[in-house]
Amino acid sequence: MAAAIVLLALVETVNAFVAPFRAPSEKDWRAAAAKVRAGFRPGDLIVAAPAWADPILRQQLGDLVPLPVAGRMDAARFGRIWEISQRGAQAVDTAGAKAAESSRHGALTVRRWERPAAAVTFDFLAEWHRAEVSVVTPEQVEVPCAATGDRIQCLGGASLHPDLLEIDTTLRNGLAIEPVERSTLVLTYPETLLGRDLAVACGLHSVWLRKLGDGKVHMRVAVDGQEIGTIDASSSSGWALKNFDTTALAGRTGKVRFEITVDKANARRFGFAAEARNP
Amino acid sequence: MVSIEGRQGIGRDESQYFRAGERYWGWFESVWNNLREGHPKRAFTRAAVDGTWEDNHEHPPLMKILYGVSWRLFHTCDCAGVKRGLHPIPISGRHVTLPLFKRESSAFRFPAILLAGLGVALAYWLARRVLRPTPAAIAAVLSVAQPHYFFHAQISCFDAPITVMAALVALAYWKSLRSRRWGVLCGVFWGLALATKHNAWLFPIFLLAHYLWMRRGDFLRLRIPRPPLAFVSMATLGPLVLFILWPWLWHAPVERTRAWVQRHTQHEHYNFEYLGRNWNLPPKETNLKLLRATFPFVSTLFTLPVTTLALSMIGFVVFLRRRRGGESSQVFIDDAPSALRPSWVRPGADVDRAPGVFLAIHIAGPILLVALPSTPIFGGVKHFMPAMPFLCVVAGAGAAWLIHLARKVFPAPRLSRVLPAALAGLLCLPAVAETARSHPDGLGHYNMLAGGFAGGASLGMNRQFWGSSALPLLPWMVEHRPPSNRLYWHDVLHDAIVMYSRDGRLPLGIGDVGVGEQVLEQSELGIVILEKHFTIYEGLAWQAYRTTQPSIVYTHEGVPFVVGYERHHSAPPPRPEIFTP
Repeated sequence: MAAAIVLLALVETVNAFVAPFRAPSEKDWRAAAAKVRAGFRPGDLIVAAPAWADPILRQQLGDLVPLPVAGRMDAARFGRIWEISQRGAQAVDTAGAKAAESSRHGALTVRRWERPAAAVTFDFLAEWHRAEVSVVTPEQVEVPCAATGDRIQCLGGASLHPDLLEIDTTLRNGLAIEPVERSTLVLTYPETLLGRDLAVACGLHSVWLRKLGDGKVHMRVAVDGQEIGTIDASSSSGWALKNFDTTALAGRTGKVRFEITVDKANARRFGFAAEARNP
Repeated sequence: MVSIEGRQGIGRDESQYFRAGERYWGWFESVWNNLREGHPKRAFTRAAVDGTWEDNHEHPPLMKILYGVSWRLFHTCDCAGVKRGLHPIPISGRHVTLPLFKRESSAFRFPAILLAGLGVALAYWLARRVLRPTPAAIAAVLSVAQPHYFFHAQISCFDAPITVMAALVALAYWKSLRSRRWGVLCGVFWGLALATKHNAWLFPIFLLAHYLWMRRGDFLRLRIPRPPLAFVSMATLGPLVLFILWPWLWHAPVERTRAWVQRHTQHEHYNFEYLGRNWNLPPKETNLKLLRATFPFVSTLFTLPVTTLALSMIGFVVFLRRRRGGESSQVFIDDAPSALRPSWVRPGADVDRAPGVFLAIHIAGPILLVALPSTPIFGGVKHFMPAMPFLCVVAGAGAAWLIHLARKVFPAPRLSRVLPAALAGLLCLPAVAETARSHPDGLGHYNMLAGGFAGGASLGMNRQFWGSSALPLLPWMVEHRPPSNRLYWHDVLHDAIVMYSRDGRLPLGIGDVGVGEQVLEQSELGIVILEKHFTIYEGLAWQAYRTTQPSIVYTHEGVPFVVGYERHHSAPPPRPEIFTP
């Protein structure tokens, strides 16, 4: 026991002196970034592992990680992923991919991961202006909403616009919606080219609002009048992602309808993104 | 600490205590001025008292008074020039001072540093009640060689001071068990502790628990132990000292004491990252309650130097075996009863004072309180830091056992003489090295078990709070200051910016667009402090500056703490990619 403590003291002391030098230096980051730049192709994704190193990655390569990529719904559409990792970490976004290339740059490892990319047939966020938006009142009267500049404004105060949202302390591009109680906000995309999968992700924006309110937002998803699934967002649900199977509808153009309701609207700012795609 | 405190930035709370401390000093000046002018009562009217002491009244005043007095005595004064307007009190002329410190913030911090020094001495004195000098010295070194404690020990806040007060009151109580004088002092010291921070409310509970345990024999004999002098003193002198020191209480003592208590018993749960989650409300689900309850234990496991932890564990075993005889008992100094009968002024004279239970209560008390899921955890380790001096005494006992063992293994007299000192150095070295490594970002430090700074970040442990890590970015901000002077400072309070200017670390008139989500768009250069719940502000920066690319990132051992963004007027070249299907 005594020898173990003495040994522990020695190891901990040595570690305290050595560990700072094992951290990636700026030179390591520059070398890793140069490697990524040399092989980068349009449509590639660049990620840091562990995720907390992302600000340093963006300092080096932020011009290749624009806002639509940084706030992505998920990584399914990316077939090539550049990962700058340290301490043996692997990014969640690379799950299921195969390492096609790997190189060491000091304390950093650059890996290029490859996998079949999902082919997006319809991006509901990018095509938000094609949505027909309305509010169904408690009396079941459907009232169309009006486009006002950068957003769509509805009866009773509900509104919708694309925004960069903070959901579960992560930044996501999504359609920001302020739902109202006892009414249903309806988004209808009349002509949607469907794939085998309809991926829908949602959550509640703002750490402050999530703390303030406790209401739950419910979203029903229907294709050509038939419900294919539901998804909920609450203060603790995070960025919830569901994949609805639309294999039977793949290749067809259909009418996709999102119906959004809330039990308690106080401090609820809902955000969602969705893609029809072929995985 | 005096030589290195300047590397640690000014935190949110600290900047407010600077301001309050200077204002409190201003009130003492007004007392003197009114006295000279023949209106001695004027400074004591409710309006005059509240005008000053309402400032930061949620915390008692002792440390802020000391900070203000220290500033007045020891700063290098250039207050009468252009910086005059940066002070929260009227500056009538150049101050005559003993200019020990170049920066005004250092003069404010000096009492905290002195008190931290006293804390080391107290840990030694506390340990000396049961241990010999060498292990007691080890305990003293370990009590300050803790990265998180060391961070708090050199700033003008209350968390290290209340830790020192916990040791002071405990030591006085311990000595009062066999000394009348210390019984009286115990009440005075508790009053000072009350005037330092509200953690002091808990001290009597810990002491009472120990007292009842120590006198458990009385209960077995169906006798109720008499209230000791220390408790009588605490009940009378404690509140009296608090009342005298805190003018805010003078005109409405009951109402304001109640307000003070309510403020802290109903305190908001600020955001804090623990194991990858952002906690800002008491958890409702059972699994989250259980996870939340692990917070002080896991935090202790990951923040204390590992050797200190190991010594503490050995120390616990050694204390458990203290009264069973054998080798473990030999590491302690003799604490035999000093009299046959107790008295209320020497209530521990006839019994074993149960030092193990005494230390265990002082360690477990603060930790268990923070383990309750309803207790806010936003301060991290600092919320249960008063347990640490006692834990280090236990670690000292572990070291004593090791020294005893080493002497047995190496009985040669020459070796036996140098062994204690050599072992002491060896056992303290990792803690000192870890603490040196952590500076100035001690809040983000995690130990070898966690994997250091990077390991802590990967575990989702909190990295920082208060925004003090902005300091290394100040030169960059000044250098890149846009002509519009529109700067966004995020979590750096205006009071902190003012103090940086007074310290000469920022130019006078540096811009500040203010706080809140809306103002970021109005700025052209800004920083974002990287805390989990602050992600929303980084998103606002991306939108405001039309980029996700920070111009600068401040890191410690590769872990980012602060990012700086700039608005580039020429739009960046478009990325060659089309996202629409």
